[in-house]
Amino acid sequence: MVKRFWNDLKKYFNYVFVSAKSELKSEVANSHLSWLWWILDPLLFMLVYTFISSIVFSQKIQYFPIFVFIGLSCWQFFEKTVKQSVKIVSANSHIVTKVYLPKYILILVKIMSNGFKMIVSFSLVVIMMLIYRVQLSFSILYTIPLLLILLVITFACSTVMLHFGVYVEDLSNVINVLLRLLFYMSGIFYTIKNRLPEPYVTILLKCNPVALIIDGMRECMLYCNAPDYKILSLWLIVGFVVSAIGVRTIYKNENSYVKVV
Amino acid sequence: MAEEYAIEVKNLKIQYRCMNKISIRKSLFKLKKNNVEIYEAVKGITFNVIKGQILGVVGKNGSGKSTLLRALAGIFSPDEGTIDMHDHTVSLLSIGVGFQKKLTGRENIYLSGLLLGFSEEFINSKIDEIIKFSELGKFIDKPVKTYSSGMYSKLAFSITAILETDIMLIDEVLSVGDAKFKKKSYKKMKQLIQKEDRTVIIVSHSTETLKNLCDSILWIHDGEIRMQGPTEEVLPEYCKFME
Repeated sequence: MVKRFWNDLKKYFNYVFVSAKSELKSEVANSHLSWLWWILDPLLFMLVYTFISSIVFSQKIQYFPIFVFIGLSCWQFFEKTVKQSVKIVSANSHIVTKVYLPKYILILVKIMSNGFKMIVSFSLVVIMMLIYRVQLSFSILYTIPLLLILLVITFACSTVMLHFGVYVEDLSNVINVLLRLLFYMSGIFYTIKNRLPEPYVTILLKCNPVALIIDGMRECMLYCNAPDYKILSLWLIVGFVVSAIGVRTIYKNENSYVKVV
Repeated sequence: MAEEYAIEVKNLKIQYRCMNKISIRKSLFKLKKNNVEIYEAVKGITFNVIKGQILGVVGKNGSGKSTLLRALAGIFSPDEGTIDMHDHTVSLLSIGVGFQKKLTGRENIYLSGLLLGFSEEFINSKIDEIIKFSELGKFIDKPVKTYSSGMYSKLAFSITAILETDIMLIDEVLSVGDAKFKKKSYKKMKQLIQKEDRTVIIVSHSTETLKNLCDSILWIHDGEIRMQGPTEEVLPEYCKFME
């Protein structure tokens, strides 16, 4: 199966690339502010959360705008991809009913287009770090493995969502609520370590991979610390296992997806 | 026989298990119902297509023709039996071919081409020909959602006609576009078909078209083969049956 996955990946990589590119392009073409939205969207959300946290809840966190920005960028990548995966087969029924393609390729298209947006907002983070004169260290290199783990976990969740999304009509409603819950539990605009009592800190940071990754990103970008690599590598393994199961299930069932759509 | 088969289908069965979409509410209230209805659309079909042959498939609505084509295109896997395409490339051409509505015609050409397994360079070398054949002119760089239905089908036809695959599966698209384009696509079709090594399967209700294009006919009735043979033999029988 690994070999088949690899071959399909090679075969369809071009498709994924071109498809993601044209998806981004068409998004841009249909709005007035065009590509500015890729910057404006995270920027405006950051302002909203900064307002709520620092004025309404009067929190004091160093570099707060950057702090929120890092969290939001990771979160939006995860949330959008998972959300879109639920309905991805029926949303692409025009392709799925005409030609064979491994269905998880559709997820990869989303990962690529959402990933591009994430990169754009991370480049904003870098600019803001320069403006705020955040002290840098080599621990910033940890961002690369952290983002890769985020990618694997997102892919794993998406494959599961894709499979069940085909059969269960109202899955998207459930997922929306769950994602919202996860959003508040991921510490996007607060520090889990400081705001919550034990044992919630341990539970949230160890059992919620998104919170763990966001926390790790902040540690290595803002505070020059290394992330918790033991638990992270554990989550990486979990991500790989779930992806493998997901891809396997998709291979096994993908031909009947078309019959349901 | 020394002739080479392009497609071998053995005892093909395709079932639609009525795995209707379930909603969570329903499945909560009816735990364990699981009376899965099975509807068999194709009930054990065996046939071979010789390389270069043009096969017409006829049958009344709902007799499993489109299901058969989709199975041949690899969209469905057979529930029983085997399909051997001998590693030929296949493309399925049917009404309302899948385009991404928000993207432009040009981008859709690339995407369709890549999905059919062609390389980007190959598509680049063919794209002007496709655009010219489709007669879309300036519209090629407009989003597909702005197209009229005729333009839509013209583009679809052009892509499949010019990005030539070894095996073409055609589902009722020979009457595309206006009279002029119809004539042109018919001519192109004939030209494509005349290429020695191209295998074509056509599903159509137009006996006229089939009579002109096909070497042999496969008549499917309720998921089973009713008759199979040269066009001159099967087609009159089918016409008689339909009256």
